[in-house]
Amino acid sequence: MIKKIIFFVGLATLTTALCMADVWKAPDQEKAKERAKEVVSFIKEYKDDHKIARKISLMDAGISLKDVQDVYFLMDSPIIKDREDHYGPVRFSHKRHANLTNDCSKCHHYRPKDKAASETTRCSACHQDSFNPDHPERIGLKAAYHQQCIECHQEQAKGPVDCKGCHLQNVPDHKELVKLPDNPDAFQVTAECLRCHDTQAEDMLTTAHWLWKGPSPYTTGHRKDIMHGKGSTALNNY
Amino acid sequence: MAISRRKFLGSLGAAIGATTTGSLTKAYGAANKHFNGYPGSSGVLHDTTLCIGCRKCEQACNTVNDLPQPEKPFDDLSILDKNRRTQADAFTVVNQFGADEKVFVKKQCNHCLEPACASACFVKALKKTPEGPVVYDASLCVGCRYCMVACPFEIPAYEYDNVLTPKVTKCTLCAPRLKEGKLPGCVEVCPREALIFGEREALIKIARSRIQKHPDQYVDHVYGEHEMGGTSWLYLSGKPFETIGMREDLGTISAPELTSGPLSAVPIVVGLWPVLLTGVYAISKRKDKIAKEEKEDALQAASVQANEEMNQKIEVLREKMTKEKTAAINFEVKKALEEAEKGKQEE
Repeated sequence: MIKKIIFFVGLATLTTALCMADVWKAPDQEKAKERAKEVVSFIKEYKDDHKIARKISLMDAGISLKDVQDVYFLMDSPIIKDREDHYGPVRFSHKRHANLTNDCSKCHHYRPKDKAASETTRCSACHQDSFNPDHPERIGLKAAYHQQCIECHQEQAKGPVDCKGCHLQNVPDHKELVKLPDNPDAFQVTAECLRCHDTQAEDMLTTAHWLWKGPSPYTTGHRKDIMHGKGSTALNNY
Repeated sequence: MAISRRKFLGSLGAAIGATTTGSLTKAYGAANKHFNGYPGSSGVLHDTTLCIGCRKCEQACNTVNDLPQPEKPFDDLSILDKNRRTQADAFTVVNQFGADEKVFVKKQCNHCLEPACASACFVKALKKTPEGPVVYDASLCVGCRYCMVACPFEIPAYEYDNVLTPKVTKCTLCAPRLKEGKLPGCVEVCPREALIFGEREALIKIARSRIQKHPDQYVDHVYGEHEMGGTSWLYLSGKPFETIGMREDLGTISAPELTSGPLSAVPIVVGLWPVLLTGVYAISKRKDKIAKEEKEDALQAASVQANEEMNQKIEVLREKMTKEKTAAINFEVKKALEEAEKGKQEE
């Protein structure tokens, strides 16, 4: 009895604690989100090093994989969002990419001319808004990301090169897209979904939701059958 | 003041010379000066080596121009297998070239500095603006579609499905968006800056510096810098332009410049031909008139002659008849006298 009481009290405390506290958020994700909102001041001049010279200077500066602190970044910025917003940000695993390439100079290809500045800077310090007439050779942030990622992925024949390989597409507002009569029946609703989502419909046909079968110990009269289900005997009609 | 014959002819020759040379300089005025485009006009540089054929530009174009949704969605890249041209409902298309190393090329109106379409349009529905875009005014268009024939890049399309108010359609370089200070739809959405917007002069410099920096990656040519007298859209490529569906036979002279020579003859022809033809007509008319007159004269002469002959014949006849008549009378008289004498003798 006492055990039971203790259990219930414990349960109640836990529930209250859960209700009181905010929903748990992943700290590194929050950090990445905050970081993605920042806009740092534009670096006008950079040191035009050759690839090899750049690699050497990074090595000389003693920068190695150990210095990679952030696990991942969200490749997003108000600089891009100001112009357009069709896709969600890419989750870029900084540490993983650093480990894979083992060459910081692949992305940190130049450094600021200012000697006091850090050896490695973020992309958005040099690459900001597109088509800046004062710096015609400098590509914008969105293009810098895409050129860097896709080029390397193509070169290595590794990693996605298509849009949805990296991005989640922003879900369009379905209030305007879905057109149904008042009080629609189930068939009408399914048909309306299928109007656009035909790929998903095809996929569905290969899943267990459509193909399940197996023992049915609780079905009267079929307790000993082992092969009943949608995939065999039951009717597939939505 | 007396004018000698020599002096008169001399001044006449000088006068004719002056008028002809004067009119010639006037006629070729447009061609004499090479037009390098409006200063500070905008354009787009399409670096085909950066294009990945994602068709986002097509989608953005469709959205900003409120065009109907295509049958296949824009993320369906299988459409690239077919070589396409611009349509009434697609102002831009991306085409794919090459089997192994694929090259993607965006196609749309090149916004020529001196557009063939505008020079072919006799109602000025198409016009090159100093800002760069070649714009179309549907309210002026008569639907002759000369622009479609004139365009060396096969760009303008026509709304054949629109029965009552069909329009010629083509890329506008997003002229309305440019006025709002926005970028063209395609340029804004391009993920890799394969499309660069800016002043045309600056774009040529960017293109040149890219070629200079990476001579192994680019063909040493900026397509559109001089083609057809220059276009506002410029292209860079890693493959010869001919192999990526871009005409290299167009030359560097703009269409209006090519036609200004023959067209300058139009006023002369228009002025001269009526005079010449009227003269020819008058001469032939006069010839006819003279011939007619001569004929009439001949006819008259002939009829006069016939009349005379007739009269003569009548005269002869009349004389003959008079003679016969007199003879008859004489005979009768003689007979009567004889009878009278006979009667006397019988008595």
